[in-house]
This record gives sequence, C-alpha cells and structure tokens, in this order.
Amino acid sequence: MDKITAMDKIASTREAFIAGLMDVAPNDPKICLVSADSLKAARATPFVEKYPERCFEVGICEQNAVAFSAGLASTGLKPFFNTYAGFITMRACEQVRSFVAYPHLNVKLVGLNGGIYGGEREGVTHMVFEEFGILRSIAGMEIVVPADAGQARKATRALAQREGPAYMRLGSGREPVIFDDSMDFEFGQARVLREYGTDAAIIAIGPILKRAIIAAETLAKEGIKTTLVEVHTLKPLDKDTIAGVLRKTRAAVTLEDHNINGGLGSAVAEVIAEREPATLIRLGLQDVFAESGDAELLFDHFGMGVPHVCDAVRQLLARKRKT
Amino acid sequence: MLTEKARQLRRDVFTMIHKCGDGHPGAALSITDLITALYFHVMRVDPKNPDWPARDRFILSKGHGCPSYYAALARRGFFPVDWLPTLRKLGSPLQGHPVMKKTPGVDMTTGSLGHGIPIGAGMAAAGRLAKLDYFVYVITGDGELNEGIVWEAVQSAAHMKLGRLIAFVDNNGWQSGGVIKDVSGLKDIAAPFAAFGWHTQEIDGHNFDQILGSIEKAQTETERPSVIVAHTIKGKGIPFTENDNAWHKRVPTQEELAAALNYLGGS
Repeated sequence: MDKITAMDKIASTREAFIAGLMDVAPNDPKICLVSADSLKAARATPFVEKYPERCFEVGICEQNAVAFSAGLASTGLKPFFNTYAGFITMRACEQVRSFVAYPHLNVKLVGLNGGIYGGEREGVTHMVFEEFGILRSIAGMEIVVPADAGQARKATRALAQREGPAYMRLGSGREPVIFDDSMDFEFGQARVLREYGTDAAIIAIGPILKRAIIAAETLAKEGIKTTLVEVHTLKPLDKDTIAGVLRKTRAAVTLEDHNINGGLGSAVAEVIAEREPATLIRLGLQDVFAESGDAELLFDHFGMGVPHVCDAVRQLLARKRKT
Repeated sequence: MLTEKARQLRRDVFTMIHKCGDGHPGAALSITDLITALYFHVMRVDPKNPDWPARDRFILSKGHGCPSYYAALARRGFFPVDWLPTLRKLGSPLQGHPVMKKTPGVDMTTGSLGHGIPIGAGMAAAGRLAKLDYFVYVITGDGELNEGIVWEAVQSAAHMKLGRLIAFVDNNGWQSGGVIKDVSGLKDIAAPFAAFGWHTQEIDGHNFDQILGSIEKAQTETERPSVIVAHTIKGKGIPFTENDNAWHKRVPTQEELAAALNYLGGS
C-alpha cells in the first residue's frame, strides 16, 4: 500500500521546521536562526532556548534580515531566515537575488503563510502567491514546498545538508497530514504517488496535494484513470520524471496554491513545450487576488477544489477524444 | 609612506578608468585615502590566504568606488597589478561593481546601495559567535544613507552590541544628481547614528593622522558599533576632478590622464 494517510489529521509545518532544525543543530554548530521578529510565528522557542547564541533577532526589517544573513553566511555559517513568505520574497527580493543568490551563499529562506491556504483569514497582504515565479527566475535558487509537516521536517534536514541558497514554503501551521512517517523526502525528485492509469496526469505541489489525491480517487471510481504526481522540489525541477509521465498521458492538470503564472503550471508548460507535447490545464489562482476566508473555502471559491480538478481532467479527455 | 601609496592608487584609478572606458572616478578618488589607510596600515589580512577566517573584513558599500579598492588589493598583493586594465571587460575578474567570488580579497559582493552596514553586521555577529577577534570595516557613501535598509541595520547593529563593526561615511557631499543637501536633504550625518546608539566621530577623510587615530579610537569601543564621518572631497587628488560632480561618471581623455599622472608624479 502507498504511504498516503487518511488525511484526517492536522499538523504544523512551522513546528516541523523547528523540529527539523533541532534534529540537525546538535551535530552542526554552523546552523543558526535569523528572525525579523518572527520567532513567535515560527514557533521557534525550542531552538531559542537551546541555542540562544545561535539566534539573531534583527526586528521587523526583512531586507536587513536577508542582508545580515548574507553576512553570516559569508563566514561559513548556515543561517535559516524565517518569516512570512511574502516579506522575504517580495520585500527583500533584491537582497535575496543580489546578496544571497548571486554570491551563492548558504542562506536558507523559510517562508511562512505561503499561498492563500497559509495566509487564509489574514488577507492578501499576508498571503503570497507569486513567489514561485519570482524565485524561479533567480539563478541558482532552490525551491522546496513540502506537502505536510512530516515532509517539512525532512525537507529542513535535507536543506541543511545542501550548499547554497534555497527557499522553503511553509503554511499557517494547520496543514493536513498527507503522508505517514515512512514517507521519505528526496530533494529534487518528483514522485508518482498513484498510477491508476494514463488518461491524464494530475501534478500538484504543497498541502493542496490533498485535493489532488481525493480528485484522483474520485475520478478512478468513475473509471477515469489518472497518474498522480507530487512535485515538492519546484527548482531544480525533475523534468525527467514529469516528461516520462507526460509521454504516457499526453494530458496534464497542474494544481498549486499560487498564481497560475510563474509557478508549477508554468514550469510544467515548459516541460511540455520543450520535451513532451501534451494538453494542459493549470489550476491555481487565475491571475486574480484572493481574499480573507476559511482556508478550505478559499480553495473551493478560487477554483482549486476537488470538483475543479475532476472537471479539468474530464475536459482534457474530451479534447483527447476529438483529436 | 601612506601618502605615496595613495598617490600610486590614484594613478591606478585614473589609468584603469581611462583604459576600460567606463567607471566612477569621483567616487573612487574620495575614498582612496581611507582605503589606503585600511589596506596598508590597519587591516589584518593575508594576501596569500584571502579567505583566512580570522582576517579583518572590508565591505565597500558604495561599490561604484571599486577602482580604488581594486588598486589597493592589487598593490597589496591579492592579485597581479596587470589585472587592473581589464576592469569591466568581458571575462575579467574585476567586475563593474565588486564581486566576492570573482576577485581575491573581496569579502562581499556590493553595488546596489545600502548593503554594507547590514551585511557587515552579520559578519561582526558571526565573528562574535566564532570567538574570533576580527574587525569589520565598511565604507558607505553619504548619498547612500538615503536607503532605508541602512537605518534598519544601524538600529539592529546597535541593539546587538556589535562593537567590532566600524563604518566610514565618505561624506563628499555629492550624490549622482547634485549636492546632497539639495537632492535628499540629509544634513547632520552623525546625529542619527548617535541617536541609535552608535559611537560617532568626525574627521578629515584625507588626513592620515586623523584616519588612523579615529580607527584606533573606534577599536576600543567594545559594545557600540562605530561610525566615522569622514569629510572628503569628491575627485580628491587631481586638481581638475576635485569637487566637480561631472566626474561622478566620466572617462578621462588621453590628455587628462597625462595631466593627472604628471600631477600625481608617476605613471
């Protein structure tokens, strides 16, 4: 049986990040934490209490925090800077690009409140659904989006072992548990989670994967047989795995908690254009701003519900039949 | 000795910009004496081991002044002097603004203004964590202080008690578009630093006794970061470039180069 749980539990990707940091910190004195008054949001108390000298609080100033982190990293330290994702990737975008990515410094950027699911009731200023596109266009920047807390903990450990700049998107702290503990995290690898058949591929990233799983199950009951793929490392993208699936399905639906421009859907479109021709429907925010609300209701409202995924697959099948 | 070294660096700067056909002579010449003092008297560095962990760090926050910086690094032995004329050319290790992983001795990539103090604060904090006694020196422009990130870092560096962070402000009074007091209104530079809790000094940035004295004094501060507001002359050292903002970004002609070298006593 696969490693997908009943998905009826909740666990915090934020706490998982700190747990992952606590896993690696004892054996790696170079790991440290930079905060822009974000220790509380990051649930960082365990790390702060155990390693007070390795915590650097700069106050509410994300540009300064990224530049400061670059200074730390230039001496060989491995700073993890953690605050709301939009403030890192938009407000401090230039610092990320010119002083972390360009000198290829070992700064790990950990963004909270990623997507509308992570920002939910806070509203648009505290959500971010543009950062995949922003960061994907910065040379050498690695982008990881764990689907749940267990994966976030393992992704943190994986990133701590890697040299160079990276970004990890986390959520609100109320993410569904998708995988059981035995699910590994192998940086850079997309994975086929379910292979019902080759009618279409459903490719998803982040906690919204839960909906892709349910959609694939629903479709299977109707006799529509999809291949379900999880992409947790958006950059570098595992083009071979994605191309291999597209070669069989020639149709794909992407599902992401992000603007459809610039993120997973765009990345898959590039693979389609360059490697394996296929029809594609990109699900995500359709180039609009979201709004406050309950996280699950927001997904449904903005076209990222299970029925939307199922409808998109049916549309692709209808197109296939026409050709 | 420092005076002669500074003259040599100024000759290098003017020659370099003439040969590459691009650059900022005015901004490079106003910091030449500060850089000379740092690299030829003050800083603990080893040109044969540019990444030595215990070395003093330097960040040229006003990265466009890099011809002086490159000249100092070359003359100090970090790389061959014959690299200097390759400035800004394709394939050169000497980029238009400093790049840490291309040029031996450059401790941090800079260029986009405002980043020397925040990055220097990170280096100083890392030194404290590692129990290393190095100092971090920064040269920032005065116009550059318009950038908000400077003041974010001024606040946090003071709060963190980063006493080994020493920043010079190259106070030549000019920014790209004209006189600072007209363009952006910045007046008393030391006062806002002092208000955030920094140790402040004001010196003549072309007087080596004052430069060295102010650094010695700043080094005795164990908790307060230090700012040394250095009153400088943009284009200093060559009579026809001094205090003329036309030389902010201008390439000397063959005749101007010859006149400058003649004045600076060498080639």
